Amino acid sequence: MDKNIDIIHKLIDGELSPEEEKAVLMSIDTEPSLKNELNLLRKTLHIVENCDRKSAPASFTSEVIRELKPHARLKRAGLRGFFLRERVFRWNMAAAMAAMLFVVILGAGILHIQKKDNLSSSLNRGTMVTVRFNFYSPDAKSVSLAGDFNKWSINEYPMKKHTNGVWTIEIPLTPRTYSYMYVIDEKVWAADPKADLYHDDGFGSKNSVVRVSTS
Amino acid sequence: MQDEEHSLIKQCADGVADTYAILVERYQDMIYNIAYRMSGNSESAKDLAQESFISAYNNLRNFRNDSKFSTWLCSIVINKCRDYLKSQKQHISFDEIPEIPSAKASPEEDISKKQIIDRVQTALNMLPKDYREVVVLKHIEGLDYGEMAVILNINANTLKVKTHRGREMLKKILKAMGVLNG
Repeated sequence: MDKNIDIIHKLIDGELSPEEEKAVLMSIDTEPSLKNELNLLRKTLHIVENCDRKSAPASFTSEVIRELKPHARLKRAGLRGFFLRERVFRWNMAAAMAAMLFVVILGAGILHIQKKDNLSSSLNRGTMVTVRFNFYSPDAKSVSLAGDFNKWSINEYPMKKHTNGVWTIEIPLTPRTYSYMYVIDEKVWAADPKADLYHDDGFGSKNSVVRVSTS
Repeated sequence: MQDEEHSLIKQCADGVADTYAILVERYQDMIYNIAYRMSGNSESAKDLAQESFISAYNNLRNFRNDSKFSTWLCSIVINKCRDYLKSQKQHISFDEIPEIPSAKASPEEDISKKQIIDRVQTALNMLPKDYREVVVLKHIEGLDYGEMAVILNINANTLKVKTHRGREMLKKILKAMGVLNG
């Protein structure tokens, strides 16, 4: 693009210093073709900026809410609704006695099973896997780990810097697949160059993916 | 505002769909307007805008609290529009801009506001999609370069060059259409 035209755009965007602006305006004053270009550009932007804004149709929101995946809504609202919904129970003495008897038998059964399962429950506790994350960024002042395991918080998992420029952190995770990114100096999001794979988040970025398993 | 939105988003992630309606109401016009200016027709704009909100809802756990919700929504609708335009395979190169003789003959002041608006949309439709994006975000939505850089995921210098070129091309098209004299 012509350098003069480029300067006109910078002038329009207010990106010139007061001195530069003064000099540019003076040269535009003496150059009719540049003055014409500036006027045309101003008119162009005026016309575009004054176009009517289009409003969404009246039923837009209700249609969106109706289209939300039923399973996504139910999955999230289901358990919460089940436990928090108020209920009225109708009962009689016979039913209450039967329920009590059931609870006593169930309790005794659970106590018996618990003794047998001491070993397996200790194994279950062991299903948390400690995962070590390493990221090389020698010039960073801080690096933290953010992912769906901590709701993408940039503060929860600050990493520790080593003398070789590698930042590390170890966190316990239950076995499954997680998306994550490193956050450099609290503002730059970076994918892990050594990630297991990358997941396109659908919005132009790629999250790193780690698969955590017990094996 | 941002704290309140993050609280609303958290409620949505917990499955309170009614809360999402508040966010949709708040941003529907902005997202619809972007979709309309990018696609050039109201039917596609409605579909693209609705798909964007649904996609955002289904991906709320990917939303990072370091940006505004509206910025994130804009990046979603822009990506939806890119996919849509790719499927339409519409592209007119700078040298192929058609002249409109009857329009060119009309003096600027003789064109009604409605005609101007129609021709601006026609001109936008003629811009390559990456130039159209920057013109729509900057001059129709009034966003600043910083927010646009996040939405379009490009650096500030590239963004400014695209904006300058997009505006130049738009100026040339509007001139050819008789909307501008000079």
